[in-house]
Amino acid sequence: MTFLKSISLFVDRKSFVHDIDPITKLYYILFAIIIPIILPSFTISAICVGISILLLLAAKVMRKTLPVYSFVFLVLITVVIIQGLFRPGNETVLFHLGPFAMHKEGLLFALTIALRVTNIVSAFMILVLTTKPSTLVESLVRKGMSPRIGYVIVSVFQIIQEMMSTMSTIMDAQRSRGMETEGKLLTRIKAFIPLLGPVVLGSLINTKERAMALEVRGFNSRNLKTYLYEEKTFPYSKAIQAALLVLTIFAVAWRVFL
Amino acid sequence: MKKIVVEGLKYKYPMTEELALKDISFEVEEGEFIGIIGKNSSGKSTLCQALVGLVPHFYKGAYGGKVLVDGLEVRSHTIADISLKVGMVFQNPFTQVTGSKMTVYEEIAFGLENIGLPREEMRQRIDEVLKLMKIEHVKDHSPFDLSGGQMQRMAIASIIAMKPDILVLDEPTSQLDPAGSEEVFHSIQDLSRQGITVVMAEQKIEKIAQYCSRVLLLYDGKLVDFDTPEKIFSRDDLKDYGVTAPVYTRVCKALGVKKQRCDVYPVTLEDAELALRGTIK
Repeated sequence: MTFLKSISLFVDRKSFVHDIDPITKLYYILFAIIIPIILPSFTISAICVGISILLLLAAKVMRKTLPVYSFVFLVLITVVIIQGLFRPGNETVLFHLGPFAMHKEGLLFALTIALRVTNIVSAFMILVLTTKPSTLVESLVRKGMSPRIGYVIVSVFQIIQEMMSTMSTIMDAQRSRGMETEGKLLTRIKAFIPLLGPVVLGSLINTKERAMALEVRGFNSRNLKTYLYEEKTFPYSKAIQAALLVLTIFAVAWRVFL
Repeated sequence: MKKIVVEGLKYKYPMTEELALKDISFEVEEGEFIGIIGKNSSGKSTLCQALVGLVPHFYKGAYGGKVLVDGLEVRSHTIADISLKVGMVFQNPFTQVTGSKMTVYEEIAFGLENIGLPREEMRQRIDEVLKLMKIEHVKDHSPFDLSGGQMQRMAIASIIAMKPDILVLDEPTSQLDPAGSEEVFHSIQDLSRQGITVVMAEQKIEKIAQYCSRVLLLYDGKLVDFDTPEKIFSRDDLKDYGVTAPVYTRVCKALGVKKQRCDVYPVTLEDAELALRGTIK
């Protein structure tokens, strides 16, 4: 279970953001990507980031976003440095870093990119951190996605976990027969190779058996599928989706006429 | 009414030389409880899979003869169509977990969702099978966190919930302790009494003798005999087919005690007791 949690980032909290259905969150991601493209101003991007961060705060999942943000910022810092130092069209020198000069144009450009990336990442995190993967996939299947693809996505989370536990069982078995599995890197690599055979072959056999078990449970049935749970709906879903649409149209009009 | 009709069934797995099933013919009546016995690789699993259409649809390979389940010809129907009539439980409970559901309750619902059952009926059936297989207390656990025995019960429950007319089980109690397999056999016998036709491949010979109405003996892909447990286990040539009779039968055979008023040896504890007491008096 712990491994499962580490593979899916979902955080189970009670908040209105969690209650919103996944489809509306998908619309929000689309919205957050499209708006800065339509209106490429610095302020608009900053507002979008602001809204996303407010939503993440409201969902009480801000702590979980920190590792993701820190990874993204690590990448963005290199963008800022390279653009600031070497972007063609750099004119105004702000300050010197050793033999190199940091320029205003490149820096501003890099900041816009950074803001856009942060914006997209934040919007995605709202979806990923507040929605169970299985709920998301089920909503997509209801909307017409193939149940086979849905099954593959959801089962990956559990089956990888199962494979890991098989692997540790095999590793224990080999260790109990006197194999060195700890110590220097080379020893570890040597210990890893004989693991691959049983794990890979075992998984292939399991996959065959699992496919048969799915078949006899009507996985390929042509009957219309039903669902154990009622679709999760949020009373204001339609209103939110409509509002997002209106704002997008408004943004396009703004861009065209002003 | 004939529920299962097998006529001259021959089957060869792809990439193999020898036939896995050699000219098998038999018929099963509605509500019978059939046991399939035979040593390892005698064709038990293949025969089970031929009844649900995994042979030939899943494996392909060379196929001859005819299998009719509830009037449906297996060869010309998809596994999905056949799965509405015939349910199958496999040997390994771990690979029967779909891996796409978070709880036992949802796991059992998987097949019901696929066949498009209304939600109300789904819940009712799930509650029913949870109780029947005695796994109510773990219904909110993750399927992978169950013990082997609980997983096996869940696998059986998932199939029973689909209410097939014919239930095929391939060593369904391999992970269960003696008390657990006794309970599972009991539940399956209940289903059989309700009119469901049961076909079960099993190594636990005493259980087969106790619960089955007829026993099908396979050897090397061929059908050796298909008769009542008493007649099958009274055969003198059982050893040649790699099968041992139930311990009660062996004792009575050694003592030369047959069932009263018939020419067969007893196969269950009760019958053996009766027969032996009869001779003591």
